[in-house]
Amino acid sequence: MKRLILFAVVVAACSKGKSGPSSRDGVIQAWKKGGLEPSAFTTAQTDVGKDCASGTVNKLDVLVCTFPSAKEAKAAEDAGLKWIGDTTGASRAQGEELIVVADRHKADPSGRTINQVVTLPAK
Amino acid sequence: MRKPWLLIVLICLAASPALADHKYGKQVRFAGIHPIPKSEGGGICYIEGPHVHIYAANKLEYRVHDDDHVFVGDPVAYGYDGPKYAYKGPHPIQVDAYIGGDPDVEYCYIQGPHYHYFEPADGPDFKLVGGAYFYVGTPPPPMIEARPQYIGINAYYQPMVYTRPVVEVDAPVGWIGARAEFVGPGVVVGAPGAVVVDHRGGAVVAPGVAIGAGVQVAIPVPTVSVGIGVNVGGPVVVHDRPVIIHEAPHGKFKGHGKFKRH
Repeated sequence: MKRLILFAVVVAACSKGKSGPSSRDGVIQAWKKGGLEPSAFTTAQTDVGKDCASGTVNKLDVLVCTFPSAKEAKAAEDAGLKWIGDTTGASRAQGEELIVVADRHKADPSGRTINQVVTLPAK
Repeated sequence: MRKPWLLIVLICLAASPALADHKYGKQVRFAGIHPIPKSEGGGICYIEGPHVHIYAANKLEYRVHDDDHVFVGDPVAYGYDGPKYAYKGPHPIQVDAYIGGDPDVEYCYIQGPHYHYFEPADGPDFKLVGGAYFYVGTPPPPMIEARPQYIGINAYYQPMVYTRPVVEVDAPVGWIGARAEFVGPGVVVGAPGAVVVDHRGGAVVAPGVAIGAGVQVAIPVPTVSVGIGVNVGGPVVVHDRPVIIHEAPHGKFKGHGKFKRH
């Protein structure tokens, strides 16, 4: 019985770390594939979600949060706006991932890169 | 309770954060491509979906859709260099078709030839003639009622120097520009048989234009072509090449008026 429980725990742990377009890794791969240059993403403690990581993409501050469902990710878009603060930015759910980008250093005046950051993972 | 007004004030105060929970601090919500104010550097913001800035949107060129400010003016006037579609005359805009969100129809009141970065919804209300879209549907009452509020956009664009579409085609039957309620005051007067340039939008209207004092009644006549022209705020149209517009569109309409992006 103990072995069965252990097996179930291992399976659950593995399934949580899956890769693909709906995972955080999938988001980062989509950016790289689209020609963007993401930094390393590290765990972030925010009010936006419980499972978040932050980093930069082409000098833009970016937060990626993973939610149990697409509906929850969508519902967290407003919380993403709060993370952006008083600057240009976007908060967009792509499946179970919420992508929040803030141009705090005015690195993207035309918004073209911001647009890529939030749209590339959907393509 | 002795002071019921106090209760009302408290309820309002308690409710206010909920009303403002779609933005934070100095944020102003936008959706779709729009110009950037000169004070913020100018040019175009190319973020397609909902996003925020910390500058305001003017009331003449923007409409509010699902809390977001949506630009309904001509982006080419501000240097937009993406796919664009030529229109002539006022027309409805199915905002949700290219922005998403709840169903919402807003209205563009630019009288002359102009561009948008989206195509109109499929259907019989728009006719594509010579590369430009003409609205030939029946204008709904809200469109007519709101016209005085937004007609000033023509004076706003008139002095702008940029490459407008030059529409030299015969307007199709039923075009909104020929309707009495959409004929604005102070339009160019031209004798029949002469070429008339609409100073508002650089439109070249060929023979058959009859004008009254401050009122224009346009009777569409000969057809020529559509090209690119440069209007320098006056009746000068410099023809460039004869064909324009569809530059590798990044989306198309499918079904009943829904815009689909690739």
